[in-house]
Amino acid sequence: MKINHRIIFVLACLVEGSTAKESFDYHSVRAKQAVVADISGKQEGESLPLKGKSRVQGMRNFGPQWSGDSHLLWNGIVGEVMETSFQVSKTRRHRFTAVLTLAPDYGIFTVHLNGMVIREGVDLYARGVELAQPLDLGEFEFKAGPQQLSFTLTGGNPQARKFRGTGYLMGIDYLVVKNLEPKEETSEKPKLGAIVAEKAATLKEVQPLLAKYCYNCHGDKPKVKGKVNLKALAARSDFLKNVKVSRLGAEAVGYGEMPPEDEKQPSSDERKKIASFLYGVVDEYAKANTTMEPVVMRRFNRYEYNNAVRDLLQLRGDIYALPEKVVRGNKYFNPASGVLPNKVRVSNRTLGKNQVELQILKDVDPFAVDLQAEHGFNNQGEQLSTSTILLESLLKLGRSIVNSPQFDGYSGLWNSFFKEDGKPVKERLKPFLEQAFRGPVSEATLERYATYHDKEKGRTKSYTQAMKNVVAAVLSSPKFLYLVENKQDADERTQVNDYELAQRLALFLWSSIPDEELMNAARRGELRNNEAIDKQVRRMLLDRRSRALSENFARQWLRLDQLVTAVPDFDRFEEYYARIGCEQWKFGLQTMVEPLLLFESIQVEDRSIMLLIDSNYAYRSNELQAWYTNPKNPFGNKQNRNRFNTKIQDFSRRTLNRRREGGIITTAAILTMTSTPLRTSPIKRGAWVATVIFNDPPPPPPDVVPEIEEDDAAIAASGLTIRQRLKEHASNQSCASCHAKIDHLGFVLESYDPVGRWRDKYAGGLPVDASGKLFGEDEFKNIVEFKDAILARPEEFMRGFSEHLLSYALGRELKVTDKPAIDRITRKVMADHGRFSTVVVEIAKSLPFRNKTNQKER
Amino acid sequence: MNVLKHNLLPRRSFLRGCGATLALPFLDVMQAKAEKGSTAPRRLAFFYTPNGVAQKAWNPTETGLNFALSPTLKPLEKMRKKISLHTNLDRIKVPGTDGHAQAGACYLSTARPDELSPAGYPLKRTIDQVIADVAGQSTAFRSLELSCNSYTDNRESVYFDNISWYGHGHVARSIKDPRQAFNRLFAVHEHQANASVLDLVLADAKDLQPKLGRLDQNKLGEYLESVRTVEQQIERITKRQDDIRDLDLEEPGKLWTTMQRDEYIQVMGDLMILALQTDLTRVSSMMVAPERWDTPLMFHGLFDKPIRHHGWTHNQNKEQVLSDLEKLDLFHIEQYARLVTKMDTIQEGEGTLLDNMMFVMGSGLSSGFHHTCNNLPTLIAGSGGGLFETNHHEKHPEGTPIANLWLSMAKGMGVKTNRIGDSTGVIKDWAV
Repeated sequence: MKINHRIIFVLACLVEGSTAKESFDYHSVRAKQAVVADISGKQEGESLPLKGKSRVQGMRNFGPQWSGDSHLLWNGIVGEVMETSFQVSKTRRHRFTAVLTLAPDYGIFTVHLNGMVIREGVDLYARGVELAQPLDLGEFEFKAGPQQLSFTLTGGNPQARKFRGTGYLMGIDYLVVKNLEPKEETSEKPKLGAIVAEKAATLKEVQPLLAKYCYNCHGDKPKVKGKVNLKALAARSDFLKNVKVSRLGAEAVGYGEMPPEDEKQPSSDERKKIASFLYGVVDEYAKANTTMEPVVMRRFNRYEYNNAVRDLLQLRGDIYALPEKVVRGNKYFNPASGVLPNKVRVSNRTLGKNQVELQILKDVDPFAVDLQAEHGFNNQGEQLSTSTILLESLLKLGRSIVNSPQFDGYSGLWNSFFKEDGKPVKERLKPFLEQAFRGPVSEATLERYATYHDKEKGRTKSYTQAMKNVVAAVLSSPKFLYLVENKQDADERTQVNDYELAQRLALFLWSSIPDEELMNAARRGELRNNEAIDKQVRRMLLDRRSRALSENFARQWLRLDQLVTAVPDFDRFEEYYARIGCEQWKFGLQTMVEPLLLFESIQVEDRSIMLLIDSNYAYRSNELQAWYTNPKNPFGNKQNRNRFNTKIQDFSRRTLNRRREGGIITTAAILTMTSTPLRTSPIKRGAWVATVIFNDPPPPPPDVVPEIEEDDAAIAASGLTIRQRLKEHASNQSCASCHAKIDHLGFVLESYDPVGRWRDKYAGGLPVDASGKLFGEDEFKNIVEFKDAILARPEEFMRGFSEHLLSYALGRELKVTDKPAIDRITRKVMADHGRFSTVVVEIAKSLPFRNKTNQKER
Repeated sequence: MNVLKHNLLPRRSFLRGCGATLALPFLDVMQAKAEKGSTAPRRLAFFYTPNGVAQKAWNPTETGLNFALSPTLKPLEKMRKKISLHTNLDRIKVPGTDGHAQAGACYLSTARPDELSPAGYPLKRTIDQVIADVAGQSTAFRSLELSCNSYTDNRESVYFDNISWYGHGHVARSIKDPRQAFNRLFAVHEHQANASVLDLVLADAKDLQPKLGRLDQNKLGEYLESVRTVEQQIERITKRQDDIRDLDLEEPGKLWTTMQRDEYIQVMGDLMILALQTDLTRVSSMMVAPERWDTPLMFHGLFDKPIRHHGWTHNQNKEQVLSDLEKLDLFHIEQYARLVTKMDTIQEGEGTLLDNMMFVMGSGLSSGFHHTCNNLPTLIAGSGGGLFETNHHEKHPEGTPIANLWLSMAKGMGVKTNRIGDSTGVIKDWAV
């Protein structure tokens, strides 16, 4: 379920006036922000186009002073030239400054700008690795567009040592291109709509509008449409009583989904009036109903179980291989470095080699996967039951882990826990149980486990085996398997205690149990204020375990599982398949990695989540790059056998020149999995965008859903495009309001074929029409304008994303009563331009995350 | 209760993954039992196919005894004397949750529309579980849930993938891997190895109880119920361990993920039959495929490309699609018929296992085209030991709840109740 307040942004725009705003460059949001805020026209070295030997280097190891914790690095021999370029948006006079890196093996350079020498003898030598003072390169009349910048290596300082004995290096932290005629610039700070709702309209103002535009279907006739009778809601209190109707109405009207296209349409002002009244009702309801939706005690899913056991027993790796971990290879993921390396060597576990996974620990098998909720994640207590069969699997699993022949060398606890050393067993068990059960352990519990150890020691004649049997029991205990919170001490809304917050945080950020530091913070009672939570969350985000956000959250959020079984038609999309040995492989095994690496780069580099909509870079293998840039012949002359690489390979960060690429929506992975074998499916694509991007899932399709032809060739034969065919289909049905929501979101992606490659025309020659309106208002002609339309209303995606992540963090669906919290989170995220860590921190600090309710009957 | 004869056959490797071609070496267990003067117990099993059936080819024109089989039912010709067909049985769909999810998850409970679960489904303890409460009191396993869902993506939610539920929010998970099913039934030592930790985890659960809220109590209740069932299973399967040892079975050799559809369904069916035949359980359900799951799936030998069953059902107003859909329905009936035939070769006293079965083939939708729930396709093989007439097409009065059939079956299986879900009474002429 979604909860929304989208109209407020529209209102905010209205307040500001209708002048087009300067769009904000979300690429400027980076991990290190100390200097960014007051420098306009700043262009990070690592964001500049990389040519030749240029690459990005993470600099956090050398100190905190590098902007974005990284710089552009180049090396060469004397006479070679480092080339790049930067963008200027207005034809104006600018001051041009460069901030470069100094180091013992850096050279002396001549700087060229657009072919002219602008500075000679720039010596980058220093005894240590440090950041130079800004180098003022002068004032220039720039024409809007790209500016060519190059550095010729002319030699080295006598004291400098040569890099690899032959040449020298250079590094650009960032460039500043400052407009010297700023009067026409709107502001140095990006302008964002202050999220303040205009005064909501009153029922008296709105009722005539409802009568004019709505009652016809929702009240006047004996058979009211959708069982919504607005005429019967005479007083504000009636709207409050029917808050669901109010909320859905606010969204439908605010979004331009209602009234249906063929009915009388309200003016923009009237539309906003109706929506603002209805949202006002929802807000009033949420304020008056402070009881939160309860979180049902949830059990670990198998991914979380793996992580929890790994961390509890200090294992060197996973206990079993899971298809849920899509990107195989983890060395590259190091959030403490602040940079996702330019090149990462990975393969795809889900679609790659060893689809039938080899065991990591002998005889250890995962339990069955828990399925995702229809509009949520697979961590909702209500849907995570423990059946007899599952309990049997869990009991066996606990035993098989500790008794696996490889276990002894695999656990870091061997010496301190499993090996006998004469210390009393209880002394060892106490801290172990506290970590396993995420809280203080009673004397009675400790006694029980110690007694069990004695008994097992007597039976097996082995201290170690008895200890293993204790661990097997711990791993099967409900205290380990469930996220237990004491609800009896809770009122309608009570702050969770420190231990409970610690385990909520660990499960949210790491899909695991708290580490010692978090447990200690809980013991000391330090998790009660925002500063402490802020500090812990940021620490945890810098830990490698935070990869769980990509592996568990992002994968489910994007519904990437659906790519596993996408089967573009074998004859028509032959190049999607490669036969190796007796197995058929799908190119999806490469495309699936792209959106996840983009997500990880945003997470690790703490960039803006708006890059998920529109990024100027992507991680791609060479073959994947060719898939986009040379769609007719991506793999050269390679035939079915060995057409593409199915193994581990380099995915490199590539600067994208065309904005029709970039972000996640236009990745081949998403576009392929939302198509059917013989054609695209604008409905599936539209529903995906509505659900994933805006968290506004369409209701389930009505019972009467005639499908359209399975092959677009058959549609083309009747002289129609899919779009025209769907139009016919929608007008045949009483489905217009839903289609109003999803059609335009799907049609805009018609520019991409069923396997995600660009097309201007359909195979039959008919032109693609990708135009439409976002939220029934903002017109776009093509995908680039569509992305711009989303960027121009960043709140929509920021809210949608925050809702998904909050729902994931809580392990439940969101309800109307969560709206104030979501409003607050969105406001903070907006103010920080969508910075990833801000979304996470604000969710961790939010009221629903820090509180519990005692689930009394209501 | 040593009903298995000793050392009947050499080591049995019938489940090596060739289920499609090799028949079970059926054991004469129940006959042994009958000889001792006791009657064979009634048993119940379900064979659930998703997305409804193509109506025209399914519905016969004749009713009553010895009716002429419709095209889709033709594969049952040889077994017709032991089959009955029911038409005009309905389920009620409620708005708010997906039609296919309801079709699967609520098929066997058909709760009244005013008995919605918190998630909005008319879902309660399903009929197989209600019956297992009674019929499973002495068997090693109270029930056995199997599934032939071979999709490798996790596209749909739990509601699409399960027909058996202990209650709302508490799914009776099905086993998809034949090896796992095999080991659950016959690896006695694995059950026994579970015993030692049960007291400990039970004590932990009791610690938690006073802390929990109302909804959490339900979740812990599921855990406790499972612990108790595991305990019971250990006790009961230990009593049967000699029988099982003497069976000397070998686990299925072939990996299930490499099996073709027919092979997979038959291997799972064989395991189900074996469990019923050896009286390890008296209640079983088998979900042949999950609801909706629009992912293309390969049916070897039937279609040369992976097909979307669900997609087809919405496209069956086209001739070619309809004919393909009928072909798929026919395939499912063939699979069912093969299992029915196998059951009928197992002697039990004067009759066969099949005679003592009620083996239901059905779907939670009648037609997938409009998600219709009226006139659900319903076949029963066997007569539950003579509870009703076979070789018969019973056309019920319009609007008869399918819950009436569930009620009749429950009574036949010994459940003392007068209502199941939205039932209004038992099926007429049933000896219950």
